[in-house]
Amino acid sequence: MMVIVVRREVSGCLFTQGGSSLFQRGYSRLLSFAACRRRQNWKHEEVKRMRDLQAIDSLLLKELKSCCAKEYNFLPREAGLKLMESASTQNHNGVSAKCRDARVEELWGLTSFFGYSTQTFVQAVNLLDRFLTIMKAQPKHLPCIGVCCLHMASKMVEAESNVSPTHELIRISQSKFTVSDLCRMEKIISDKLSVEPKAVTALTFLHLYHSAFASLSAGREEIPSIGRLEAQLKACFCRLVFSKAKVRIVPGRQFLSIAAFMLSHGTHLSVVCLISQPSVLALSLIAHELPDALQSPAMLKIVQQFQRHLKISDSELLHWKELVAKCMTKYHSSECNKPDNKKLVWIVSRRTAQNLQANHFSVPGLPTIPEGSWDESESEDSCEDMSCGEDSPCGSLGSDGEGAFFPSVFPKCGK
Amino acid sequence: MLTCNKSGDRMVVDAPNSNGPFPPLALMHFRDVAPAEQEKLFIQKLRQCCVLFDFLSDPLSDLKWKEVKRAALSEMVEYITHNRNVITEPIYPEVVHMFAVNMFRTLPPSSNPTGAEFDPEEDEPTLEAAWPHLQLVYEFFLRFLESPDFQPNTAKKYIDQKFVMQLLDLFDSEDPRERDFLKTTLHRIYGKFLGLRAYIRKQINNIFYRFIYETEHHNGIAELLEILGSIINGFALPLKEEHKIFLLKVLLPLHKVKSLSVYHPQLAYCVVQFLEKDSTLTEPVVMALLKYWPKTHSPKEVMFLNELEEILDVIEPSEFVKVQEPLFRQLAKCVSSPHFQVAERALYYWNNEYIMSLISDNAAKILPIMFPALYRNSKTHWNKTIHGLIYNALKLFMEMNQKLFDDCTQQFRAEKNKEKAKSKEREEAWIKIENLAKSSPQSCSNGDGCPFDRRCSEVKKDS
Repeated sequence: MMVIVVRREVSGCLFTQGGSSLFQRGYSRLLSFAACRRRQNWKHEEVKRMRDLQAIDSLLLKELKSCCAKEYNFLPREAGLKLMESASTQNHNGVSAKCRDARVEELWGLTSFFGYSTQTFVQAVNLLDRFLTIMKAQPKHLPCIGVCCLHMASKMVEAESNVSPTHELIRISQSKFTVSDLCRMEKIISDKLSVEPKAVTALTFLHLYHSAFASLSAGREEIPSIGRLEAQLKACFCRLVFSKAKVRIVPGRQFLSIAAFMLSHGTHLSVVCLISQPSVLALSLIAHELPDALQSPAMLKIVQQFQRHLKISDSELLHWKELVAKCMTKYHSSECNKPDNKKLVWIVSRRTAQNLQANHFSVPGLPTIPEGSWDESESEDSCEDMSCGEDSPCGSLGSDGEGAFFPSVFPKCGK
Repeated sequence: MLTCNKSGDRMVVDAPNSNGPFPPLALMHFRDVAPAEQEKLFIQKLRQCCVLFDFLSDPLSDLKWKEVKRAALSEMVEYITHNRNVITEPIYPEVVHMFAVNMFRTLPPSSNPTGAEFDPEEDEPTLEAAWPHLQLVYEFFLRFLESPDFQPNTAKKYIDQKFVMQLLDLFDSEDPRERDFLKTTLHRIYGKFLGLRAYIRKQINNIFYRFIYETEHHNGIAELLEILGSIINGFALPLKEEHKIFLLKVLLPLHKVKSLSVYHPQLAYCVVQFLEKDSTLTEPVVMALLKYWPKTHSPKEVMFLNELEEILDVIEPSEFVKVQEPLFRQLAKCVSSPHFQVAERALYYWNNEYIMSLISDNAAKILPIMFPALYRNSKTHWNKTIHGLIYNALKLFMEMNQKLFDDCTQQFRAEKNKEKAKSKEREEAWIKIENLAKSSPQSCSNGDGCPFDRRCSEVKKDS
């Protein structure tokens, strides 16, 4: 769901009914949409639905409001993000974007293995990003920071019985630091960040909107499951570039209606829901998906209006569109990478290790005996015992000086 | 058995002694005799060595003459190793005869417990008592066969099918040293006597058939397989039908036998050699292996996993695709095995680069099969080492294709929920039945016997 990150000055009046001119402008625009649509033979039900929208979603809007208000606190600092992006992997002073991405993928792996929920993963990534953008961390500490964030997130989100003990976490992740290191890191992180009840992240909005759209399009459309959406969201999280938040203002309510509109015209819901990332990402995602879902030029019009409204330049949109496209194609591709198992440590029990070593019956002691093509036919005394069905003309043996161990100099036969 | 030749008195050194029923003579050394006479002396010595001594029931008898025989044998070994043109035509029958007399004997009945109680790795083998002489006879015969002067054409009159048959019978000896010599001897005979090859192969097949289907007892299977390994290695392409039948009807059923551990490395080598020669045999081999897969014998299962990995190391990608689904279904079962060695060995496949590259080329088919087993065991397996290995396996899968992995996770969760829902349904159905039963007018808790009986009698009373 779109996180409407509000500039402090305007926060107060955004959601009031008659207050902000912004809202009024948006709303009037919405009405013009409706008129436009009607002229293009829109079904009456759909118009009705849009009006009904406000009635259905009051509760949802309330929650959205509170989330929006909190969301700003949980964004990683932009300056820090810029620094990470510019840092290279060779430079050992700071953590680069690539390192961070690799670390997040590790966390994804651990999340899957321990069966933690997506919420845990998202929280962990959130903590990681926020910490890394505040503190200038050394790359060698990154594994510890990563695992620590995951552990803290799991304690926040998961039931107590489901949280894995720290030594297990360290053992499975094949990390080199100790439990006490982990505890110290935990203290440092919780001091630096305000780690308290779960951060409001993209996932929160994803859930909110999914439930909204589920009720909206009940039965009419194939809504991708929340699981699939979460997976796509995770895929996006693995790239630092998407954490980069550009702050924009869009009224939540207006967004809802526009989203409903797009939904009714067959836009893929996953696209719509991914608008929970900051708006630039959202818009670029829509624009990316449009070629598939585009039924009418009205869609394109909406995008353009959105763009204008959010003050996003064309070049920016293009840039983000490319990034999203790359991410989604990579995610959806059926191409399989050859895995690199050199990074992993393979610990087996003593018995199995012995078995593996002993199991090299590679070179037999006996030299090879080449099979002659005239083998079977040369037998004089075994004609009736032939196991193969070949004819056996009895003849004299030819030279049998074959093979490595036969003497190379063979005295002439016959005495 | 020949008595010793008394002709040529000038060759006698020592006077006959009346120590036994026969008069053994100590003959002169070769170096002390003129070259022209050496052949005659050679034959005399050979005939002398046809005398057998008792090592078993009376080890201390005839010690002097045992030493004479030993010395003679030893000298003859040296003689033919370091001299050329000493193997003349009259020598052949004498040598073969001497060997036959010394070697071809009925083996004593097995003193080790047979069948399940005999553990080939733990129990000591029974060694041959007459080894001091037998060893030299074997040594001598081997040098004889390997000598550059040896002529198979001449020898084939004496080394015939009967000889080979008797030689093969000796493979059941319990003495591993003897079996080792037999192995080398038969290997040389196979190499030199082309006319005997088909016969040898056929008789070996018969030994195997008897072993698999009748007795399940034979001490020489490993040695025979080692010989066969070198033969298979030399097969000409395209493979003859006879050889393919041998693989399918003899080698593969050898996997069934309980004492597989004795000869498994050699068997695996033979199978892999076959596949290297002709890769179209892969599918029948792998399917047979899966058919014979041990269900309760865990050490055997580990052996099968070893063999399977060796097969996969040489498999062609096109053949791999044909067998991948049943294969990975079996692997999924192995990974879930409560026996930690089986699970470990199966998981260690993920450390094999070639296998991983095969998997990544076919991940769409393989991952859905492997995933549930891996994921379930990451939680439920009792062994911590297994957890670590499962993590590695899952991580490698994740790196391969994230979307596929996510899809599998979804599916797994969905199925788990379905199962939960089903069991809940079942619970509810039972509760429903229970409630129905409770509310039935006929139910009354009398505490003893069937409530219906009492009820019936009560009803009768009422009416």
